[in-house]
Amino acid sequence: MAADKGEPVADFREQAKLWSKGHTYEDFEVGKVFRHHWGRTINEGDNSLFTTLTLHFNPLYYNEPYAKAHGHPRVVVNPLLVFNTVFGMTVEDLSEGGGPFLGVDAMTHHLPVHVGDTVFAESEVVDKRTSEKFAGYGIVTWHTKGLNQDGEMVIDFRRTNLVRLRDE
Amino acid sequence: MSAIKTSDWTGNDNYFEDFETGAVYRHARGKTIEAIDNVQITNLVMNTAEGHFNEDIMKKRGGMFDQRIQFGGINIAMVVGLAAQDTAENALAELGMDKIRLKAPVVHGDTLYAYSQVLAVEDGDREDAGVVTFHHWGVNQDDKVVFEGERRVLIKRRSHWGDK
Repeated sequence: MAADKGEPVADFREQAKLWSKGHTYEDFEVGKVFRHHWGRTINEGDNSLFTTLTLHFNPLYYNEPYAKAHGHPRVVVNPLLVFNTVFGMTVEDLSEGGGPFLGVDAMTHHLPVHVGDTVFAESEVVDKRTSEKFAGYGIVTWHTKGLNQDGEMVIDFRRTNLVRLRDE
Repeated sequence: MSAIKTSDWTGNDNYFEDFETGAVYRHARGKTIEAIDNVQITNLVMNTAEGHFNEDIMKKRGGMFDQRIQFGGINIAMVVGLAAQDTAENALAELGMDKIRLKAPVVHGDTLYAYSQVLAVEDGDREDAGVVTFHHWGVNQDDKVVFEGERRVLIKRRSHWGDK
């Protein structure tokens, strides 16, 4: 006998309204600023996991005596994790609506982040145009800043994505 | 400080003095991307785009792709990581990246390899380290370039750090 895989869905699905997320091309006016959600305290586990999964072999990111011998108070957060975390917090506002990530320019690491520090993200729309190559998509560029718990900028970069146009 | 000799913990072929403008390197290891790499890191950094972690919706949605795509931020980090033992092990700081282009999607089961060219070798603001600019390429198992970009790194001078 086939395994019981549960009851078919009932009429709650007919009643359900999608609690939707994300934005579309039309929501991005040049100059508009987004202060993104959540913030994130980056802990040792985050940093060690990310650094080892990406084979990023610099002991500053996983060897505390080594980091301290180089003048750091604690282990340094891998700058690629700072980038990915700041980027991650921007996604719902900027790119969750769908469309591939095309590139990044002018990424600068301004200050080291140490484990236990907290990062926040904000972005400004700097450019937008419709795509000739991909019907139904536009190309949007944002300037994103990552800030620490003291409000200091630790990273900034310009990101460009394909962004879906609103379905009419 | 203390009995720690930090130079014992890193290689001796990748100090600032070892980089020459124009040199091109193929890095020794590739990595096959597993779902656990993409999904775990995507979720760890709170990237909420479900195209990276919901296989069902990708099959049903009829969008540009019919399976989960690895988050591009991980493609960047993975290629830099594959190049890191050679180009970052003796780094004091990552300074930045530029001209990053994601040229093809990466899916679970793809394998990435890294190549690097030294674009510039310059003195830094401090005498114990210099700035090296690299161009990195990420290449998949079908010899397609999936990523390229430039990266600036502050790397220790052997003259100051080789015996520390």
